[in-house]
Order: sequence, then C-alpha cells, then structure tokens
Amino acid sequence: MRALDRDTIVSILLLLFCGFLIWSGTLIRDPQFGELSPAAWPQGVSYVLTAFCLIYFFQNVMRARSSKASGPVDPESENPVGLKAWLIHFANPIACFALYFLFLITLPFFGTLIGGSLLVFALLSLLGGIAPRQLFVHALIAVISVGAMWTIFTFGLRVLLPRGEIMPGI
Amino acid sequence: MIIENTLAALQELATFKTILLMVVGASAGLIAGAIPGFTIAMAVVLTLPFTFGMEASQGIATMIGVYVGGLSGGLMSGILIGIPGTPSSVATTFDGFPMARRGEPGFALGLGVWSSFFGGIISTVMLIAVAPQLARVGLEFQPWDYFALIFFALTVTASLAGENMIKGLISGALGLIIATVGEDDINGVKRFAFGNDYLGEGFAFLPVLIGLFAFSQLMSDVRDRGAARKALSDMQEVDIRIEHMRAIKTIFADWVNVVRSSFIGVFTGVLPAAGSSISNILAYDQAKKASPNPEKFGTGHPGGIIAPESANNATAGGALITMMALGIPGDVITAVMLGALLIHDVVPSPAFISEQPKIAYAIFIAFFLANVLVLALQSGALRGFVLITKVRMYVLASIILVYCGIGVFSLNNIVNDMWTLAIFGIVGYVMRILKFPLAPMILGVVLGPIAERWLSRSLALSTDISEFFTHPWSLFFIIVSVFSIGFSWYQDDRGIKPWTVWYVPLFLLSVTVPLFLMGGYVRPTIAVILLGCSAFLFYRLPQSVQALKNPN
Repeated sequence: MRALDRDTIVSILLLLFCGFLIWSGTLIRDPQFGELSPAAWPQGVSYVLTAFCLIYFFQNVMRARSSKASGPVDPESENPVGLKAWLIHFANPIACFALYFLFLITLPFFGTLIGGSLLVFALLSLLGGIAPRQLFVHALIAVISVGAMWTIFTFGLRVLLPRGEIMPGI
Repeated sequence: MIIENTLAALQELATFKTILLMVVGASAGLIAGAIPGFTIAMAVVLTLPFTFGMEASQGIATMIGVYVGGLSGGLMSGILIGIPGTPSSVATTFDGFPMARRGEPGFALGLGVWSSFFGGIISTVMLIAVAPQLARVGLEFQPWDYFALIFFALTVTASLAGENMIKGLISGALGLIIATVGEDDINGVKRFAFGNDYLGEGFAFLPVLIGLFAFSQLMSDVRDRGAARKALSDMQEVDIRIEHMRAIKTIFADWVNVVRSSFIGVFTGVLPAAGSSISNILAYDQAKKASPNPEKFGTGHPGGIIAPESANNATAGGALITMMALGIPGDVITAVMLGALLIHDVVPSPAFISEQPKIAYAIFIAFFLANVLVLALQSGALRGFVLITKVRMYVLASIILVYCGIGVFSLNNIVNDMWTLAIFGIVGYVMRILKFPLAPMILGVVLGPIAERWLSRSLALSTDISEFFTHPWSLFFIIVSVFSIGFSWYQDDRGIKPWTVWYVPLFLLSVTVPLFLMGGYVRPTIAVILLGCSAFLFYRLPQSVQALKNPN
C-alpha cells in the first residue's frame, strides 16, 4: 500500500481537529439570553472549517490517485523522510523554540535582563558556532542588545519588565 | 470644517517628538524593507510595542512612517543586489537590477525613489478625496450590510491567497476559530477554555499576530544553518549618488505611466487583502503592454522601474481608504494598524472620520509627510542598508526574537502573552512549512469578532435571515462575495474554458439588482450602464464561445 502523502495526513489531522472543535462547541454554556447564543458562531465556523477540510482531504486523495497513475514521484521533491532526517532538517527551528520555551520557564528566576541575555547568547552560539572568539563576541552582542532593549523599555517606555528571583532589582 | 480638522491634526503632528518618531519610523522601515526576508508587515508589527505608550495619532503616524518606508526600502536591495527586499518590489528588480548592472545604479535608484514619491502623493490625494466619500456611503450601512461586508472581505482574502484557494479558506476559518477562544464579547461566556484560565482569557490579537508573522519568519530565516551564517550580501563599498534631476525628468516624460500605475496601486489597495505584492506586478504588466517598446522591458527600461514603484507606494493609500472609511483592514499591515487603534480605544468604522476627525486627518497628513520624509531619507538609508547587509542573519534573528518577547509583554504586562507569542510562532512556522498562507488567518483573527458582533446585532433586530438578501448593500456584498469566491477559478480558466465567458456578464447583471434597489438617481444610473454592458457581453457570448473553441 502506498504511504499517505503529507497533505493527506494534514487534512486528516485537520478533520480530527474539526471533530474536536464541534464536540467542544457543544460544551459552551448557553445563558439563554440574546438571539445569538455564544456557541452559535464558533459552531458555525467549525462546520464551515470542516467542510473546507473535507474538500482539502478529497482534493488530496484525488491528486494522490492521479499522481499514482502518472508514475513515481521525483525523490528530490520529497520532504525529509523518517524522524531522524526530519529532526536534522528542522534542527535549528526546533532548538530555537526549545530555547525560547526554556527562557519563558526560567523567566521568574532570571528575569528579563539576565534571561534575555542568556537567550540571545544561547541562540547566537547555537546558530553561529562556539569557537572561543565567537563565544566572546556573542556574549558581547547579547549583553549590549538586551541591555539596550531593557533600558529603552524600562526607562524610556516605563514598562515594568518581569524581574527575577536571582536579582530582584532588575 | 476641513481646515479646522487639518489644523487640529497638524497641531498634533507638528511637534518635534512626533516628527522625530516619524523620521525614526521611516528610516527603520526603509532599512527593514531593504533587507530580503524581512517583510513590511514584520517591520510594522515590531514597531507596535513602542507605540503603546504614545497618543493614538502619534503611534499611527510612526507606523505609517514604517509602512511607507518599508514600501520604498524594498527597491534598494532589488536594484543593487537583485533580490527584492519585499514582495512589493519584485517587479522593480526586473529592470532595476539590469540597469544597475549596466552602470546606472544612481539613475535606477533615482527613478525608484521619485516614482515611489509621486505614487505616494497621488495616493494621498485619493485617500483624502475618496475616504470621506466612501465613509459617507458607509454611514448608510445597517448591521446586515456590515456583516455582509466583512463576509466579503473574508472571501476576497481567501480567494487571493495564492495557488491553493482551499488552503487560504482553511487558514481564514482557523483565524476565525482562534478569535473565538476566550470570553465571548456579547454574553461574557467562556468558549473553548476547558476550565483553563489562560485559554479563558483568550488570545490577545498582537501576540498572535507577532507570533504568526515575525516569530515564524525568523525561524524560516535561520532554518538553513549555512544561509543563517551568511551576511545578507557581499556588497563592500558603495559610493552611489542618486541621480535626482535625470530621474525626475524621465518620470515627467512618462507621467501617464506614473498616473496609471498609481491608480492601479490605489485600486488594488482598496480591495481587501490585495496588497502591494500584487499591485507592483499588475502595474509592471500594464506598463509593458502600453509601451511602444515592450521588448525593452527586462533589460533596464525606465518604465519598468517607474510602474512598480509608483504602484506599490500608492497601494498604501488604498489600504488606508478601506481601513478608515469602512473599518476593515485592506491588508495585513492595516490590520496591525487597526489593532493599534483599538488599543487606543479608537474603533475605525464609517463614522470614524466624522467622530474622530483629529486622528483621521492626522492619518492623512502623516501619510503625506511620510512620503516626503522617505524621499529625504533615502540617501542616508542607502548607507544604513549597506551596513546592515554586513550583519549575519542569525545575529539579527536572535536579537529580534528576544525583542518580540519583550515587545508583546509590554502590551498588557502579562507573561502569558509571551507564551501566546511562542505558541503562535510554532503555528505560523508549521503553516509556512505546509504552505498555508498566513494572511487569511490574520484577517480571520481581526475580522472574526467584528463579524460575530454584527451578526448578533442583526439577529437582535430581526431573526429573519431574509433580511440579508433584502437590504441592498447586504445583497450587493453577498453577490460580490459569491463572485469573488469563483474569481480564482475564473482567473485560472479564463481563455481556456467556455464557462468563463459567462462570468463577467453574469456578475454585471447580478450587481445591477442591489444597485436598482438602493434608489436615488446615481446608483440606478450606474445600474443601467452596467446592465447595458452586461447585455452587450451576452450578445457577444456566442462569438466568445466560438473563439474559445476555434482559437485559430
């Protein structure tokens, strides 16, 4: 059996999501007030979305059938196959997102100034390399850029940015 | 009244601080627009956090500076390195780069700079002339008409989404769903919250927008490690003098091209979701068709720079017309501006110009000023652009990523917004990978709550659904929506399949019905003209079908 292509898998996932949306739409409380109940709009949009996703699904199935009939797919045009290849292909964005979430989790401890500088330093080193000279330059860029941003927001725009337990003053 | 409002708005804008902010905004826009991979929307989005603490008119003026700067900035990289800084300058590259390569970069830049300026000025005039008139028409709208108008905006968004319309429609519907999460505006009931406080609060619009657009764009920029480590260009020294006088003379000699392209730009801007990325190509195409030497286009022809640059700057005025007169965003950038106005408790609607004349006229003046400022700042920005091109992408991306986080926090001083940013950064990135357009989703998020509010108001007045078809404006927008959904199929099949010959006459015939229903003299007269055109096209229908069947 031929493996499902990416778009077909996406359309199936979207249809599952639509099912979830329709089910959760039934959980919305109706205060019995006003002509348009709070559930009506999201439910209506959910049904419309489901209809679009069904069209998308059938489009993909039809396309897959016609491409099957027209012969094998050019391997060059395929996306990375397998978890390992996929992880390698998207290594940078995955690492960046992970670092950003780490920054958010540790924000109450480090605060914006220290946490932000650490995040910029980590991102620069991850993306740019970790040779000793580079590390020094990255640290410098991180401290100057986040320091400048922090100063502008704190003193220029009077925003009270999140402070950390490690140094409650900043 | 107009003079009073203009003076009041001038008082607001003619302060050292506001002008300085506009200069900074326009410079930032010019440089951001010049950097390939940075969109104008992203530049405007990133400016937003700085505007929270400003007066509404000041904040909007700064963002307009960035917007106009971004539109003009794209030409620098397009002409000098052959890579358009923004999609709105794609067509500029066709003739700008060959002209620069044959040793006339100063002339090419001059043509671009001055065409942008004249396009912007023509569009300012159109904005000032058309927006109040259109707003006057908008004052006739009742809740049914508003709902139908927003429905139309959503259909246009999706149909212009690109090669795969269904993906655009799904993206738009997902945007509508995102906007429903949290407390319902009308009854205060929590939706899709599942007992979770974070979801119960709903997603703030701006973190969603910055996540979808800026965050995901940055991730795309650094995906390839090799590309991320490269400087944006290997340009070392640039000693280019913009040839102003020669450029002005050439533009004046080709004034028809400037005016035509500017009108194309304004018209494209007025259409919801059809932005400068479309207008520059349309204008280039028209200029080429109208030129006595079409074969010279693509080899460094001045007309090939004048057309796209006039059109892309003029688009901004068109998009502002829709935002100010009808309260719906013409493109993603005006969606951001709409969000910025809402933060300042200013709700754009047809009553906006009459109720908030100071801000409305401040927008008119700021748009004019921005065009003048951008013209003056181009030479300086050129040097800034050369400096920026030496910075490696990963350095810019890392710093901007943290800035995005700090920026969204400053909106409501809530850390949850930073989480929203990251979550929608992932959503946006996944959508980019899967080739789902992001613009319909953004407009869905913006327009969803407005559509629901008007639907609720309509139903509060009458539960009879037929009201949507009996009110002339509502019927007009519903008809236009139906045809706009079919427009991308029409575009694909035009000249190939026989059904397409029915599209235009049927459309013209259909819109005459609401126009007749509107009453008065002007609109029925327009309806009669359209009816005549439709009848003529129906009369020619057999010949058109025959021509399609036997092309020779």
